[in-house]
Amino acid sequence: MRVVVCLKQVVDPLTPADELALDRNRMRVLGPPRSAPVTNGYDEQALEAALRLRDSLGEVEVVALSLGDRFQLDVMKRALAVGADELVLVQDPGLDTWNGFRLAEVLGAAIAHLGGADLILCGRQASDWDNALVPLVLAEHLGLPCLTIARQVGIVGQQVKVERALEDGVQLMEADLPAVVTVTSELGELRYPTVKARLKAARQQPTLLSLAEIGAPPARPPLLEVVDLDLPLSSRECQFVTGADGAEAGRSLARILVGASVGAPADNGRG
Amino acid sequence: MAGILIVAPTTRGQLDPAFWELATVAALLAPAVPGGTRVAVLGAGIAAAAEAARASEADQVFAIDDNLLAEPWPDAHLAAITELWHHINPDLVLLPRSTLGAELAGRLAARLGVVLVDNVVGVDVTEAGLTATRPVFGGAVTAAVRAVRGPWIVVPHPKAFAPAAPGGASARAELVAWSPTLAPDQLRTRCAPMVSRPATGPSLNQAQVVVAGGAGLGGPEPFALLAEIAGLMDGAVGASRAACDAGWVDTSFQVGMTGETVAPALYLAIGISGAIQHLAGCLSSQVIVAINTDPDAPIFRVANYGVVGDWREVVPALRDALASELGN
Repeated sequence: MRVVVCLKQVVDPLTPADELALDRNRMRVLGPPRSAPVTNGYDEQALEAALRLRDSLGEVEVVALSLGDRFQLDVMKRALAVGADELVLVQDPGLDTWNGFRLAEVLGAAIAHLGGADLILCGRQASDWDNALVPLVLAEHLGLPCLTIARQVGIVGQQVKVERALEDGVQLMEADLPAVVTVTSELGELRYPTVKARLKAARQQPTLLSLAEIGAPPARPPLLEVVDLDLPLSSRECQFVTGADGAEAGRSLARILVGASVGAPADNGRG
Repeated sequence: MAGILIVAPTTRGQLDPAFWELATVAALLAPAVPGGTRVAVLGAGIAAAAEAARASEADQVFAIDDNLLAEPWPDAHLAAITELWHHINPDLVLLPRSTLGAELAGRLAARLGVVLVDNVVGVDVTEAGLTATRPVFGGAVTAAVRAVRGPWIVVPHPKAFAPAAPGGASARAELVAWSPTLAPDQLRTRCAPMVSRPATGPSLNQAQVVVAGGAGLGGPEPFALLAEIAGLMDGAVGASRAACDAGWVDTSFQVGMTGETVAPALYLAIGISGAIQHLAGCLSSQVIVAINTDPDAPIFRVANYGVVGDWREVVPALRDALASELGN
């Protein structure tokens, strides 16, 4: 059983909004200069799902796969430290893109190059462009079943069975392998590596591949272009409510809210 | 045929309020997208929803009633919509940004090789094509996007467009009963009926007041206090992803990029630092009030009112004062 987990390196989503910068020539959003990127949180949970499958099934090969223009190796090697058998990085300047259709196409080529997968696990969405698109396109292009927003993933024989965490309930879904499954945060956090595993991972090297090596098709012009980026200024100016102590500030706040009829249903004039 | 196709969101046979936001976008774009506006209502036992959708400005409502569409089962809905697409050949399709709608939009775009314009807060169609604006990085950045050639699949950001009002007696779209050739053995997944969560109080995404708690609360117990305040103002309780991931409250409470997008009259954020993934879900609120110990917390940069302090001191006093003020 071979599980490929797709990981994306992203700007830390805990970055305060006003520390982001724009590269309008390349239409990219940049994190603060000295801040390290992180692995997209949901992708880490997808990796945890893969490791749990190995915990329960035994013979499971876990391959961590990432696409990007450059990688922060110590961040990516965490996948090895927690137990991935192999870390494969496909590197190309053109892979720093918001175009999920292109990323899905390259992931498909990379997975084929690696010999295929019984199960492809992805995070439900990335925290940067928030498209939740790549796994869907990957499944459609590969003609595979697509099971999204899983809070639990199990394999029984040649079938994958998931519990989907929907807005207003839980849905059980299953499909024959191979399949694409996306994972949500309810599955739980990625386990911590032991110190020994971390030291071992530091000595391991990822497999670096180029687009040519995986036989990726040439990039076509995207159907959708990003023509501008902007950092919208908050139109709000915070009025701080103070008091001799916290309780008094709380009472003052209550008077303001009641006085402003805040909370009364009102025509909000949005449009 | 051509024109605009709205895929209407429904819940248990009823039309979701979010439909009327899609109707607003359709009315906005209809002059530039000739060919009429059609609505697809999919589900099992959806006669009431289809009837309600007839009161929009659409020309036709396709009622697609099939037991295989009873569940939010993406494969079944996708098969039906794909078939309807080939029947109508729309120039522009509007889908809601619900869990089901977002999945259908992405997979439909991939399956048909057409352009997806996701999460738009503004959209226009001219002779030069479609242009739109959308938030990225949790709303910290706005991107302007363009797709010259359609057909376009457009998914509006929840609450970004004011809902259209249902029309009067004159607005009576033609009702078309339409049956797709759904074959379960051609669908790649199988699903069981959804086990619903019990609903309590006003729903988070419709409430006019949302009282939300985050990591700063330190545990599940303070959410009872938040619920008291919400109760005083007929509001709902929300939470940040950190609070949900910690298991303090159910993820159905989550506000943010992967939770609900809310736009209440009042959003009260208690112990929430304001990471971009949370702000994505609440920035459209009319008034944001933040209570946090850290004066540099990003939440204060988007708040109208702020209290720098410990929730243990501030919030009980706020509750008591609200109870006495609102009790009069």
